[in-house]
Amino acid sequence: MDRRTFIKAVGVLGASLFLQTYKSDMAKALELSETKVVWLHGVMDSGCTISMLDGGSPDIVEFLRVYNLKLLYHEVLMMQQGIFVDGKLANTSELNSEIVLDEIMEREKGYVLVSEGAVANGPQGSGKYLMYGGRPYKEIYEKVAKNASVIVAIGQCATNSGVNAAKSDIVELLDPRGIAFTMEDSSKGIVDLLGINTPVINIGGCPAHPDWVFLTIGAVVLGKIKIPDDLPYVLDRWKRPKVFFPPDHVVHDNCPRRGYYDRGEFDLTVGGEKCLWKLGCKGPYSHADCGTRHWNGHLNLCPMAGSPCISCVEPGFPDSSRPFFVEIEKTGILGTNISTVAGVAIGGALLAAGVHAVRRTVLKRPEDEEGFAEESSSEKTGGEK
Amino acid sequence: MVQVIVDPVSRIEGHYRINTEVNGEGVITDAQSNGLQLRGFERLFQKHDPRDAALLVQRICGVCPVSHGITAANALDELFGVAGEVPKNALVMRNIHQSLNYIASHAAHIYVLWGPDLANPAYRDILAKYGDVGNAVWKELQGRFAPLIYQLNGISYPAGSSYLGAIEEFRRLHEAISLIAGKMPHPVLQNVGGVVYSPTVADIGQIVGYVSKTMEFIEAFTLGVSPDTWIENTYRASSPQKAVNFVIERLQELLNNSLSNNNFSHSAGWGDVPLFAAFGSELIGEKLLGLPISMKMDLAGTYKDPDKIGFLSYGVFFKPEKGDGYDPRSPADSRVIPSGYMNGYFKLEQFDYRKISESISHSFYIDDIKDRPPWNGVTVPEGDPENIDYTKGSKSRYSWAKAPHYDGIPCEVGPLARMMIMGEPLVTGLVKTFQDNGYYPVNNYTRMIARMQEILVVVPELMKWLTQDLQAGGKVAVYTDLPMAKSSAGMGLWEAPRGALGHWIATGPDSMVTLYQAVVPSTWNLAPRNSQEIPSPVEQALIGTKISAAENALGVDYSNPLGILHTARSYDPCLACAVHTIDKTGKHPDYTIKIL
Repeated sequence: MDRRTFIKAVGVLGASLFLQTYKSDMAKALELSETKVVWLHGVMDSGCTISMLDGGSPDIVEFLRVYNLKLLYHEVLMMQQGIFVDGKLANTSELNSEIVLDEIMEREKGYVLVSEGAVANGPQGSGKYLMYGGRPYKEIYEKVAKNASVIVAIGQCATNSGVNAAKSDIVELLDPRGIAFTMEDSSKGIVDLLGINTPVINIGGCPAHPDWVFLTIGAVVLGKIKIPDDLPYVLDRWKRPKVFFPPDHVVHDNCPRRGYYDRGEFDLTVGGEKCLWKLGCKGPYSHADCGTRHWNGHLNLCPMAGSPCISCVEPGFPDSSRPFFVEIEKTGILGTNISTVAGVAIGGALLAAGVHAVRRTVLKRPEDEEGFAEESSSEKTGGEK
Repeated sequence: MVQVIVDPVSRIEGHYRINTEVNGEGVITDAQSNGLQLRGFERLFQKHDPRDAALLVQRICGVCPVSHGITAANALDELFGVAGEVPKNALVMRNIHQSLNYIASHAAHIYVLWGPDLANPAYRDILAKYGDVGNAVWKELQGRFAPLIYQLNGISYPAGSSYLGAIEEFRRLHEAISLIAGKMPHPVLQNVGGVVYSPTVADIGQIVGYVSKTMEFIEAFTLGVSPDTWIENTYRASSPQKAVNFVIERLQELLNNSLSNNNFSHSAGWGDVPLFAAFGSELIGEKLLGLPISMKMDLAGTYKDPDKIGFLSYGVFFKPEKGDGYDPRSPADSRVIPSGYMNGYFKLEQFDYRKISESISHSFYIDDIKDRPPWNGVTVPEGDPENIDYTKGSKSRYSWAKAPHYDGIPCEVGPLARMMIMGEPLVTGLVKTFQDNGYYPVNNYTRMIARMQEILVVVPELMKWLTQDLQAGGKVAVYTDLPMAKSSAGMGLWEAPRGALGHWIATGPDSMVTLYQAVVPSTWNLAPRNSQEIPSPVEQALIGTKISAAENALGVDYSNPLGILHTARSYDPCLACAVHTIDKTGKHPDYTIKIL
């Protein structure tokens, strides 16, 4: 099975079915040499760690076992903590997490770094808005990131700085950095600032879906995604795996309420069962497989539960989707996805004339494209195949 | 004097440090609680649509997003002037949403965050003094509570059975939440005027199924008896004394069976709670049950000066029998777990939100006024890196958390405060038992027992809301529109799993936000000193506590400071919540919410 087929299979089948279907790969995986994983938490709310605990297929324990991963450091799941007696590191690496961290920085190389949270750069570039074991977290991050074979940034705080970098009167002072991007700006990622050359894979979302994270790392460990050679083909321009964040597919395409949209039936107040477009749903410009994958045991997703999608996977979140409860065409939020928004909005405005016909003419069917050549990919949304 | 620092305090939410001075006898003589991370969260609401708050504030905390969502929705109800009309069905939905999160969050704290410290090798050595019985108990502790990353003498052990089982239940309860709330964490149910989803009969049946499944874990792992039996004899006991007697008699019976064969396994009836209840406490284990040894958790994490501590609850879970709507200003009569203030001598008073204020004397903020109520809060974060220094001691500024107080008194918030204020029989009975025997009844032991017991208080209420009060397909929201929020203010008072949670919001003539402020549980529990130089609850609890396991039973070991670890973690710290900021950087005028 080649790389492309493999990642498509993972995406389509869902994790548990995938594990059953590809037992031979799994058997080989068990013979794979151990891969070490270091998991760091920066400026965040731990929501992604919680989301990983919510993963069911595989769950976090199966995930570590099946892919033969050795988790060296994870501050929520480890016995250790930092212990200093009269300023000196005390005890051993079995109880002292700072010794573990020092050993990682001194000895380990080639591990997978899972990055949760943004990196505090403020105030004034000091990084002191997040201290860790007496050091700015930024300094630790630099050392750990430089020796990793790949950085897997999970959740919006890590991928784009997320809510930390939302516009406010103090955001410049705070200066929280995403790993490869800060909001939509690729020149402001912490890797650029610190000269870190380790390849980055972004798994966005607030929080990230556990399948997205586990199956991406699994594909890397199995050699189905080769670092760095395959990354230009499997990632989009925001460094997200296209299998989970498809450039030519949005949440709207597979929304369980899609039928109402096509018939032009809209909810105007909450608590109903129709399309949420007029309540501000951002599903039409959110590139994620929520509509087919669903969340928490593959049970549900936001619009199915009556809430407009707030596009928590897109690089500009939350500014690019605020206000949440106002229809897109009235918000004036026209960021990088301007053509998508415009296209869908036109479709919406002309619903009375029959949305299917209108949208087929307004939105040209996209050519199938490969690789990074998807700068115009937003035109592909709308899902009319 | 020896300086012992724990940094980072792991197995919590967020980034946290504790700095202590310890004397030659191994007693902590001074402590500072340091919140290490500035996020500046509430600032991002300024000039924005207030309706975003119920979804966006959840990003304060990935562990208790539900509580932030509901508290924000409560504040928005008042802001839009609709609190009196929120449909009963929506209030019941808020209850169900919150109670599922309570059970999951408490389970995560007990088993994943706090529990692993019971697998600390110090307990192996202490219990070894008790021969075969002690060794058998140690095997249980390690076999149940070892976390995912755990090594002892160079050997990696698998994660504990209870630890892994709890993660499975956590996941199950989050699936139940996602059924009515889209996803978890960061669910999407809560909204101004109610909730966005009206459940079906299928949803109700499915959630009942999930909760029943979780009760199987509670029976087999947590309690060792059926939850019904436990609830009947504790939460529903006819007196606090009877509730305590039930537990002690149960422990006595288990000991009688096991002391001869050294079988302390789950299958022998030793649920995690009985095991902890017997071997965790000097009073219960050694003095009342006659064990030769215990972990003496009841002597650690206590308060020494009752004049400097209080216990606070804002009240949580709407009473469905009150029908539609609620009074956002006065939660006294309308909550299943009531609001109240209890002083350090355990005298209960009516709660009055106007007595809440926050100090910044020891926080990294700049303001000439050192105490302000949250509805008139001002915060300018320190912007000079040279001034951000955690090492200058108790007289300095040393945290990003502010120091809230009630009528000048720092308060412990959380399950123990709630259960005492509610008069829950088991917890009330334990408090009296400790008092009668010369112990201060608030300690690491009662803090953990109360958290466990609250699960059993919430479960029967949750089942009632699901099966009796919730109407499938019923009305779940009242109509609202943005202009209704013009030049208005709102307050949301609620209880997160880890304690009292308040949100305050105000808007201008364009209905856009001019002020947003959250005062959260961990700010109460884990603050620095206040402007009167009174240490915060965790600081008071640390000062006087022995540094090492079981009252330094193996001698003083500064390098394994279990006294700090148990005490700090017993509050279920959530630091991303605790550190917050709003208001001016000089660019914006002060805003005052007109609620006084």
